[in-house]
Amino acid sequence: MPRSKSVINTQFETDDPNRIQDVGWTFKEVWRRSRGFVVTSVNLTIFFILWEIATVYGDINQLFLPKASAMFGELWTGLTTRAPEGAVFSGSILDHFLHSFKNLMIGLGIACLIGVPGGLLMGGNKYIESILSPYVWALASLPRIALVPLFILFLGFTTKMQVTIIVLSAVFPIIINSWAGVKTTEKSLLAAARVFGANRRQLYIKVVLPYTLPFIISGIQQGIGRGLIGVVIAELFGGSKGLGYLIQRSADTFNTAMTFAVLLLLIIMSLSLVNFTRWLEGYVAPWRNSNHL
Amino acid sequence: MTAVEEPFIVAKNLTITYELHRERKKLVALQDINLEIKKGEFLVLVGPSGCGKTSFINAVSGLVPKSEGSVTVSGKEVTGPGPDRAMVFQDYALFPWRTVEANVRLPFELQDLGLSAAEKHDRVKKSLELVDLIGFEKSFPYELSGGMKQRVGIARALVTSPDILLADEPFAAIDAMTREAMQGELERIVMETGQTCIFITHSIDEAILLGDRVAVISYRPGKVKEIVEIDFPRPRMNNSEVKTSKKYAELRDHIWNLVKDEATQTNRGE
Repeated sequence: MPRSKSVINTQFETDDPNRIQDVGWTFKEVWRRSRGFVVTSVNLTIFFILWEIATVYGDINQLFLPKASAMFGELWTGLTTRAPEGAVFSGSILDHFLHSFKNLMIGLGIACLIGVPGGLLMGGNKYIESILSPYVWALASLPRIALVPLFILFLGFTTKMQVTIIVLSAVFPIIINSWAGVKTTEKSLLAAARVFGANRRQLYIKVVLPYTLPFIISGIQQGIGRGLIGVVIAELFGGSKGLGYLIQRSADTFNTAMTFAVLLLLIIMSLSLVNFTRWLEGYVAPWRNSNHL
Repeated sequence: MTAVEEPFIVAKNLTITYELHRERKKLVALQDINLEIKKGEFLVLVGPSGCGKTSFINAVSGLVPKSEGSVTVSGKEVTGPGPDRAMVFQDYALFPWRTVEANVRLPFELQDLGLSAAEKHDRVKKSLELVDLIGFEKSFPYELSGGMKQRVGIARALVTSPDILLADEPFAAIDAMTREAMQGELERIVMETGQTCIFITHSIDEAILLGDRVAVISYRPGKVKEIVEIDFPRPRMNNSEVKTSKKYAELRDHIWNLVKDEATQTNRGE
């Protein structure tokens, strides 16, 4: 094919492959990438050292604020020991953690299985949308704690009850986000797909679904936060296992170090899960670039 | 661009109305449009915002159903999109999760044109070559500049070798310098492929430099106010004589006078 490249264009050669060059690993580059991690580590270390100094030299009742070292001590022993076979109550944090974590994962799994298809259907079909939306909004706006006594009545102090609370806590952000994702699919992308020959099924598979995927993930991210609230609430209200129960129990027995240890563990767990979904969001949808918060 | 004398795209008494649900009213976007476009012709539509230019192009592409009248392409009534027509969008409409290459390949994934995998691959490569995007196949749209994004849009439209290229203000969001370069490239590409092109713009200069004919559309309801013939020789883009000629100034003035009244109406919201 003869190429009569315009003179104007050659002056503004923006697409020269040599334009992208290897920067290499300079000290500045290493620092730029690890800066966030280093600053946070130093920050937290100073925070815990100040805490320790305040509790050792300050006149603070250990019942209100335990030493940071005591909290880490409890966390370490709690996570490295298991309860003996047949024990009624275990001070092992690991046992309670595994119980709570398992419930959270089951609850989140069920919430996704209900929430993602539910939200997609609501976004894709206006009849399903108008039938389901009043129930979704009603339940989503109801504080889920209000339902706990009812589910204790229905299901007793069981794992089933706890998982139900978690599902109810986590499912609505997932439904609403998936639904909104479908609804906000860019009109011009749909028009482009139609111009180039997409039928209805292809519109959903090639446009709506990939467009909605990051919305679904951020729905799950919100679901994790809500689900964790559900875990703790369900265990605080009723149950003899789990991190929520352990908080209650350790506070009742004046073991504040243990209470703080469990709270710290909850923070770590929540942040890890949320960061995982953020990473996932950035991985599947790098163009959204929304995870610089 | 050698124009064969029989009309290729024909719009007859074309009327397009939209229902405004909230107000229980109908908006007449285009009324009684009669246009004949010859094969290989470059038709530019100019007119104020909201005058129905986009509705016309969407009626030809098959995206918008017509209310009255007809649009035919080589004698056949347009009832929906087809592989003989491709479109370039103002906001690029690239799929952000697809690489440049995958975006250009999209038309092949959506419709079966009876091509082998190797042929498809060749066509994608050729199309990217035509818009100078070799080396960026694996980039994602968000990594590209506006001008490069629109080149992907053009490559995607060209990949199926459509007879008709529809362009809805393709360069409106691109900066002035890149824009001139892109106009030159589009002229070069259309000269090479011999496609029929319907092109919407707000820029009178762009209209004169690109069009064989410029149709001025009036404001609400949209009607064809006048069709201006442009007979500068091609390529016009690198020809500095075109832009400095007296005829160019006259044409520019003439089209501006046609558009001006309409544009002031728009500003008053009438």
